[in-house]
Amino acid sequence: MEIPYYDKERPDTGLYNGKAGIWLFLASEVMLFGALFSAYVLLRVGAEPGTWSMGLMNQWVGAFNTLILIASSATIVMAWVCLKLNDWKGFRKWKWATVVFAFIFLIVKWSYEWPAKFTHYDVTFVTNESAAKVYTDVLGPEFLKTQPTIWQKRFDPLKKDEKNAPASQVKLKDKPLDGHIVGYIDSEGAKHEVGAAWGIPFWSHAFAWRHDRKNIEKERDKSIRYGEDGRPVYKEGHFRDTFRDKDIKAIIFVPAHGTWDHKEKHADSGTVKYAEANHDGGHAHSDGHGYTVTIAREDISRLSSYEPAHSTFFATYYTLTGLHALHVLGGILVMLYHLLPVSRRVYEKNPVQYTNRIEITGLFWHFVDLVWIFLFPILYLL
Amino acid sequence: MSNDHSPEYYKKKFIPLIYLVGSILIVGTIITFAADKMGIAEKWGFINATIFAMSVAVVKASAVMYIFMHLKWDIKLKTISLTLGCTVIFFIGMMWLTVGSEIDSNKPGHEENTWNHVGQPEPETVPTER
Repeated sequence: MEIPYYDKERPDTGLYNGKAGIWLFLASEVMLFGALFSAYVLLRVGAEPGTWSMGLMNQWVGAFNTLILIASSATIVMAWVCLKLNDWKGFRKWKWATVVFAFIFLIVKWSYEWPAKFTHYDVTFVTNESAAKVYTDVLGPEFLKTQPTIWQKRFDPLKKDEKNAPASQVKLKDKPLDGHIVGYIDSEGAKHEVGAAWGIPFWSHAFAWRHDRKNIEKERDKSIRYGEDGRPVYKEGHFRDTFRDKDIKAIIFVPAHGTWDHKEKHADSGTVKYAEANHDGGHAHSDGHGYTVTIAREDISRLSSYEPAHSTFFATYYTLTGLHALHVLGGILVMLYHLLPVSRRVYEKNPVQYTNRIEITGLFWHFVDLVWIFLFPILYLL
Repeated sequence: MSNDHSPEYYKKKFIPLIYLVGSILIVGTIITFAADKMGIAEKWGFINATIFAMSVAVVKASAVMYIFMHLKWDIKLKTISLTLGCTVIFFIGMMWLTVGSEIDSNKPGHEENTWNHVGQPEPETVPTER
């Protein structure tokens, strides 16, 4: 049975049915993203000053992806125009360009942006003294002169109360040091290399390195069974602590380069040791790790990568960008379908029907672009 | 967009519009990015920086909707107009419910005053018996 297709505009709506349908669908999408946007804004303005960790985003990558989506929005319109001009070759050329741009967007997100966050850690400290010890090791004894400004920029440009505060009032233990774990020292003093990803996929890397004293305290009350090898046997939902599991006494940590943007400046005055670390996030020092700092287990209050559980910001960041990425993926699948031979047969049989399909796909794709136009400044800049 | 445009219209009128909108989008992105790198949030304050960034985003979004999504030609149609109108009203309402209801709460950089209801009488104290 063949479903009849009406390409004429209805007198009551002024649209052909497919177009009316996609607009209604897009309206429901506005509701969906609108709810998430409003939730994000509420959390943002209600956050305690200095706790919104958005300064950790790589704005260059975000800007690059924005330009990629803009380009894809223009190319999909060009594809539709080519169909209007009965130019099939031109249509395929612009349509493929759109698909390629869409893939680039997803590749950047899935192979770089998210994995990089899952292997990037924050360390907070148990006491101000233990934090001062590590920061002195990393930045030299004068670190307090520059650090408040860096923390302020990293976490919230609006946090002014600590900008001019005397050093004695800065709560160092709550100021995280960010970087990558490159190894650990066990109870017998042996060093173990773990590499950037420890040989395991990025999504489990973060959870393999969890450590949170508050949760440990909670778990202490519960009975923990130990296996024959002496390792804890974790039940479903049991909090996993790598430090306990692997008997880790200290981690070997490379402070990150991304959020410490004053390092060259202060390196001139000789106060920043880790300026020796290279700039591409790798570890190219002669010992293979650049500048490293060893942080004892008892000094660590919390170790967390930039996973969703890191903070409210990252939870909403992954929700918003993940949902948007799913829309991009859906758009790619539809566009690939339009490039299959079966779609060519539709075009030959009824060019108007096919052209309308491309227009409807384009409307969806422009909506995906619109969402990102607002996501970029909200998540990466403000 | 209506189907009754001539091929000449697409070549001479519509394609230049595509380039124009593309340019607006690129320039808008660069302006927002550059403004952030220049630290407008610190210089102008959070609210002004937000208004600036959202204004640029609205201009970009309007260009996309007006030309790429064909509203220039279709906005007169009541289906789209009503749908968009209802959506915008609903969205603004939702935003107001969440953000507006927190109008007395602490804003970034401000003094915490969530429970400080200015103008309300001091709670009555119960005299203690001697």
